[in-house]
Amino acid sequence: MLSRHVLKQVGSCPRAARRAFATEVSSSPASSENVAQSVRPKKSEKPRISTAVILNRSPILTKAPTPFETAFYSYQARIRRALSNPFPHDFYFKQGSLLQTRFNLEERQREKRAFGPSFLPTEDVDPEKAAADKAAVEQLAQQEGEGEELTSRTHKADLTNDVKSLDRKGQRNLYLLLLAEENGKDVWRFPQGGLEKGDLLHQAAQKDLFAECGEQMDTWIVGRNPIGVYKPKPASNEPQDHVFFFKGHIMAGQVHVDGQRVKDFAWLTKEEIGEKVDKDYWEVVSDILSDC
Amino acid sequence: MATTSSASRVAYRLNRFGRAPRITKSLRKDRATHLPIPHVPVLTTREFAPNRLKDHYHTTLADDLMYLTYTHEPSGVERKAPRQIRLKFDPEDPYSKFRHNPPVGGSQVGKKPAPPSTPEDTVRLEKIQIHTFIKESLQNKSALLSPIMMLRALTGETAKGGGQHAVEGIQLVKGRKAVGGWIRPGVPVGAKVDLRGQSMYDFLNTLTEFVLPRLRDFNGIVLPPKSSSSTTPSTVSGVVSFGLPPEAMVFFPQLEVNVDAYPMLSGIHIHFVTNAKGKGAQDKARALVSGFQVPFVRR
Repeated sequence: MLSRHVLKQVGSCPRAARRAFATEVSSSPASSENVAQSVRPKKSEKPRISTAVILNRSPILTKAPTPFETAFYSYQARIRRALSNPFPHDFYFKQGSLLQTRFNLEERQREKRAFGPSFLPTEDVDPEKAAADKAAVEQLAQQEGEGEELTSRTHKADLTNDVKSLDRKGQRNLYLLLLAEENGKDVWRFPQGGLEKGDLLHQAAQKDLFAECGEQMDTWIVGRNPIGVYKPKPASNEPQDHVFFFKGHIMAGQVHVDGQRVKDFAWLTKEEIGEKVDKDYWEVVSDILSDC
Repeated sequence: MATTSSASRVAYRLNRFGRAPRITKSLRKDRATHLPIPHVPVLTTREFAPNRLKDHYHTTLADDLMYLTYTHEPSGVERKAPRQIRLKFDPEDPYSKFRHNPPVGGSQVGKKPAPPSTPEDTVRLEKIQIHTFIKESLQNKSALLSPIMMLRALTGETAKGGGQHAVEGIQLVKGRKAVGGWIRPGVPVGAKVDLRGQSMYDFLNTLTEFVLPRLRDFNGIVLPPKSSSSTTPSTVSGVVSFGLPPEAMVFFPQLEVNVDAYPMLSGIHIHFVTNAKGKGAQDKARALVSGFQVPFVRR
C-alpha cells in the first residue's frame, strides 16, 4: 500500500508495470505509443527520495491561563458553587472529627473567596475552641506534608535561553532542528537522510534519525504514513528531491551530534523555527507544527 | 480613605469578588415553593477550570491520532456506492411493499465503511458511561442505595447540579422485559451515570493516576484474539468497555476516605464512547483511550 503510494507520488514508473494483473494488453496504437514514451526516462532524472523526522517534545507543563481565562473560570466556578446541590456532611464525616473541622474551615475560606467577605454570617464559637481547632488543623497539614514549596514553572534553561535543553518552554511543543552543511552552506533543517533500497519509508526515517542524532534517546515515529512532502527546486541537471516528513516523539535521552556533517542542534518552538529555516521550507512545514 | 483604596485593589483582581452587590429589590417568590425566582430564566455553567487531559488531547493526541488513523482517498473522487449483491424482495410487489424488507443474508451494520478521514473527524472522547448492575436489588430495592451513593462520590454528578442543565446525574436502570422468574419490566436493577466534559476528564484522570497503577493483577484491558470477527456491531460503534471488580473500588480516593460508609461496594462497567463510526472504529477508539494512558494487552 505504502510503496504503491510512493510510486504514485513519484509518477515515473512505466505504465505497463502499473497495469492490474488480470487485464489484457490492448493492441491499440495509442497505448503502444504510451509504452514507447514511458520506457524513455534516463537514469539521471530518477527522483531522489529521502525522509525527515519532525521530532517533537510535547508540553510538560499545563498551560498558564490568560487573564481572560482566569476571569471566565472564576466567574463560572462561582455560578457553579452557587447552584450546586448541598453537600452531605454526615455521610462523609464523623460528627466532630478533625477531618470535618478541617473541611469546614477550608469551605468557609472558599465561600469567602467566591462570594466576598460579607457573604458568610459570623460564627459564634468559643474563641478558645476556634484557636484549638485551627492549631489541630495546622498540625494535620504539617503531618501530611502540605505547604512544601512547589518547583518553579520557569526552568533554569528558560532564564539562560539554553536552546539545547529539553526542559525549556515547558508549556509549548518543541521541535528538533539541526544545523547541517548542504551544498557548501549551513542551513537549519529537520533530521534527514536518504532512502536505501529495500527500506520502507518509516523504517528509513527511524534509521536516519539515529544516524544524525545518535542513539542515546528513546523515540517513537508516529504511524507509517508520511505527514508532508517537500520538493526543493532542483539545480540544473540534478534530479528532483522528494523529502517525506514523519512525526516523532522523544520520550527520554538527548540528541548527540557528531559535529562534522551536523554542526549543531536546537529544540525550538514554531515561531523560532520560522526565523531560522528557508522560506520555501517554512511554507511546507509551518502547518505541520503546533501553535501551542 | 483607606477602605476605598483596599476595595478598589480587590476589584481589580480577576478572580475575586470584592463584596456581594447590595440587594436593592427583592426577588419574586415562587408561590408553591416560596423560593426566590432568579432574574434570568436559565443560568448555565460552562467550563469552570482549566483541564489537563483536554489540553493534552489538543496539543498532542489529536495530531498523532489524525496521522495514525488516516486512510488515504484520492481527492475529488466520489466514493462508489456498494454493489447491491444482497437480494431484497421486490419493493413494488404489493406483498412486500409496506413490509420490513431487509437484505437477504442479514444486517449489514458491521460492514458499514468508516467516514472519510478529515481533521474535523479525528477520533475524540464524547462521554464515559459508568454502569453497575446489582443482582440483589431484584429482591431488595434498598440494595441500590449503596451503589448510587458510590457513583455520586465517584463522579460528583447530581441532576442539573452546578447549573449544568444537560447533566442527568445518577440514573436508575430498569428492567426492560420479563425473563421468566427473574426480571420484570420496570424493576430497578442498577444505576448508571453519563460523564461529559470536565467530569469525564476528571474521572479518567483519577482512574489512570490512582486506580489502575494500584491494581495488582491488572496488566491492561484484554484485546480480543486476532481471529475474532471484525464485522460485529461492537467493532463498528467506536466504544471501548471494561470492568472493575468490587475489590478495585477502594483504590478510588473518593471512596477510600470513608469505605465504611458503604455497606456493599459493587464493581462497575466503564464505557469510553468516542465519535468513531464504521469499519475499524473500535481500533481508533482504543488508540485514543491508550493515549490517555489506559493500558491494553493481548492474550
